[in-house]
Amino acid sequence: MISTNNLTKKFGDFTAVDQLSLSVNEGEILCLLGANGAGKSTTINMLLNFINPSSGSATINNLDVVKNPIKTKEYITYIPENLMLYPSLSAIENLDYFSGIAGKQLPSADLEGFLRDAGLQEEAFHKRISTFSKGMRQKVGIAIALAKDTKVLLLDEPTSGLDPKASNEFGNLLQKLRKKGVAILMATHDLFRAKEVATHIGIMKDGQLRQQFIAEDISLAQLEKAYLETMEYKEVLS
Amino acid sequence: MIAKTCIKELKELMRDGRIRTAFLIVIVLLGVAIWISARQYQSINEQYQSAKTTERSVWDDQGEKNPHSAAHYGTYAFKPKYPLSLLDQGVDKYAGSSIFLEAHKRNEAQFSVAADQTGLARFGDLTPDFILLFIIPLFIILLGYNSFTKEREMGTLTLLKSLGVPSWKWALGKWLALFFPILAITALLFLLAGILLSNLQDFGVFNWTSLLMMFVVYIGYYVAFINIVLFISLKVKKSGIALVLSLSIWILACLVAPKAASNIAEAKHPYPTRQEFAANVLKDKQEGLDGHDPWSKESKLLEQKVLAEYGVDSIHKLPFNFDGYRMQKGEEHEAEVYLKHYNYLKEQFSEQSKVYKGLAMISPYLPTRFMSMAIAQTDYNTHWDFADAAETYRIATQKFLNDNFAQNSTYGEWSYRADADFWKQLPVFEYDPPELKTILAQNSSNLWILAIWLAISFSLLLLTTKNI
Repeated sequence: MISTNNLTKKFGDFTAVDQLSLSVNEGEILCLLGANGAGKSTTINMLLNFINPSSGSATINNLDVVKNPIKTKEYITYIPENLMLYPSLSAIENLDYFSGIAGKQLPSADLEGFLRDAGLQEEAFHKRISTFSKGMRQKVGIAIALAKDTKVLLLDEPTSGLDPKASNEFGNLLQKLRKKGVAILMATHDLFRAKEVATHIGIMKDGQLRQQFIAEDISLAQLEKAYLETMEYKEVLS
Repeated sequence: MIAKTCIKELKELMRDGRIRTAFLIVIVLLGVAIWISARQYQSINEQYQSAKTTERSVWDDQGEKNPHSAAHYGTYAFKPKYPLSLLDQGVDKYAGSSIFLEAHKRNEAQFSVAADQTGLARFGDLTPDFILLFIIPLFIILLGYNSFTKEREMGTLTLLKSLGVPSWKWALGKWLALFFPILAITALLFLLAGILLSNLQDFGVFNWTSLLMMFVVYIGYYVAFINIVLFISLKVKKSGIALVLSLSIWILACLVAPKAASNIAEAKHPYPTRQEFAANVLKDKQEGLDGHDPWSKESKLLEQKVLAEYGVDSIHKLPFNFDGYRMQKGEEHEAEVYLKHYNYLKEQFSEQSKVYKGLAMISPYLPTRFMSMAIAQTDYNTHWDFADAAETYRIATQKFLNDNFAQNSTYGEWSYRADADFWKQLPVFEYDPPELKTILAQNSSNLWILAIWLAISFSLLLLTTKNI
C-alpha cells in the first residue's frame, strides 16, 4: 500500500532522505524511529506530495504520488504531531467538514458513530474544538480517518505530548485501524509506543533506514539497544 | 466541497463576536443613512414642489407689465431631486438647486445644500453612498483578510492539503462565504431603498431597472475588492500583514486615488477662475450688440440692415417695434457669447473627465463612483444637462417676451404693457434627465474598466490558488 524506492530528498548540499526503500502493506504498522533530522517527517511529506523527491519514487496503492497527487491523497489520512482543527467549530462539525471535503457526505448519526469509535466522549461531540486537549483532537483526527474510510494513515509524532493514558488509547485506536486493513506509517521518538503498536519498526539516521525489525521478533530492551547503537550514543551505551 | 467550505466559513464568521458586532454596526449605519437620506429627499422634494408652484404663480400673476421688465424680473428653473439620489447624492450638494433666468445673462445654479451648511459640512454626511463606497469595502477586509492566512496560522492548511482538496474548489468556497454576506447587506440596502422610493410616488418617477443597474455596479465593485483581499490573504503568510496590506489598498483605492485623480485632472485641464470667466464673457459681450444701447455702432448697423430689408427709411415705419427686435438680437448675441464660454467650460470638464476615466484603472472606486452618480442622476453631466436645458428655456423665454414687445408695440413705446394673462402662455420649464440607456452609453468606458478590474482580479486569484 505504501512504498518508496530509493527515495531521496536533498536540500542544497544536505541530504534529508537518502535512497530510502520501504513498504507498508495493508494491516501493517511501520514505526519509523529516529532523532530529530533523521528524515522521518521529510519522508512523510514526500508521501503527501508536500515536497517533491530529488530522486527515487514513492507510491500509494501503486500510484506514484508525484504523478497522481490528488488521487493518492484520496487513500491517505494524515495526522501531524499537533493536529489543528477549526477552534470555533464543534468536533462533529469539524468531522463533517473534513470528511465532506474528502468526498464523504455522511449523516450525523454516522459521524457521531465515528467519533465514538475514535474514543471521544459523547459530551464532547458538540463542544467547540477550542476547549479540546491535544489527545481529544487526535481522536477527531482518527474519526476523520474512519469517516474517510482511509487506506493509508500517515502519522508524524502523534503521541508526542500526550499523557500515558491518552497515548495508550491512541495506540489502541491504531490497532483497531490496522485490523481493518489500514496501512499505517508512524514517525515517532517513542520506542515504547512503537514496540506496543507496530508490526514493523525501522530506525532512521541521516536520512537512511539503518535497521528494520519485525516488532514481535524483538523485545523493548533489544529495540532500545539497537536504537542507541544506531544513533551512536556511546556514553549512554557504556 | 464548495458548499461545505462556504457553510463552514460562514459558521466561523458568525461565531466571531467581532464580526457579529461589525455586521450589526454596518446594518445600523445603513438603516440610519437610509432614514436620514429619505427624510432629506422628502424634504427637498417638498421644497422643490413648493418653490416651483410658488415661483410659477408669481410669474403668472405679474399683472400688466412691459415684457422686457418681466424679462429682468426673471424666473427660476428648479432642479428636481431624483429618486436614486436617496442612495447617491453625488455632486448635488455642491452643484446648486436652482438657476435664476433673466434677460442678458446666463446665471449659474445657486442655493446649494453645502452653501447652507457650516464649515462642519466638510466632515461629510452619513449617506448610503458613503457606506456603499467606503464602509462595505472595509467590512470586506474585516471578513476576508485572514481567510487563507488563518489556515496557515492555525495549521489546518496541512490537514486540508493532505486530503487532496482541489485548491480552486476550496478557494471558491471561501470566496462565496465572503460574497454572500456582502450580497445580503447590499441587497437589503437596495431593497429597502426600492420599497421606500416606490412609496414616494409623488416625487419623480422611480425606476427599478436603474436601481438594479446600480446594485449590479456596486456588486461588481465589491467582487473586485473581495478578489483583492483574498489575493492578499493567499500571498502573505501572516494575518497581521494581510490586514495592513488590505487596509493600505483600501486607503489607496478609496481615499488617495480619487483625490490624486482630481488634482491631476485639475492640473492638466484647469478651469478659468470666476473672475477670468466673467471678464472674458464681458469682453465678448462688448464686442457685439447690446440690446439696451440704441446708439452703439452695432445697433446702428442692425438698424440699417433691417431698414434695407424692409425697404423703409425709418424704424418708425417698420411693422414691429424695433426696440423689441433689437432687444432680441442683443439677447441672441449674448446667448452665443454664453454658449461659447460655457462650451469651453464643458470642454474642460470633458477633458478632466477623460483624465479621470483614464485614471479609473488605478482604482475600482473611480469607475464605481462615476457609474453610481450617473445612474442616480446626481453627477456633473446631469447637472450640465440641466443647466443647458435651463439656458435653452431662458433663451426661449426671452424670445417669447421680446417678440411680444416687438409685435404689440411701436418704436419708443416703452410704456407698453402686456396683458395680465400673457405670462401664463409661457410654457412651464420641464427638465427630463438622460435615460438609463443614454447614461450607460455615456459611461461605457467606466463599465469596461470595472469589467477589466474584475477580470484581472479574478485571474490573479485563480492563478494564486494553484500555488496553495
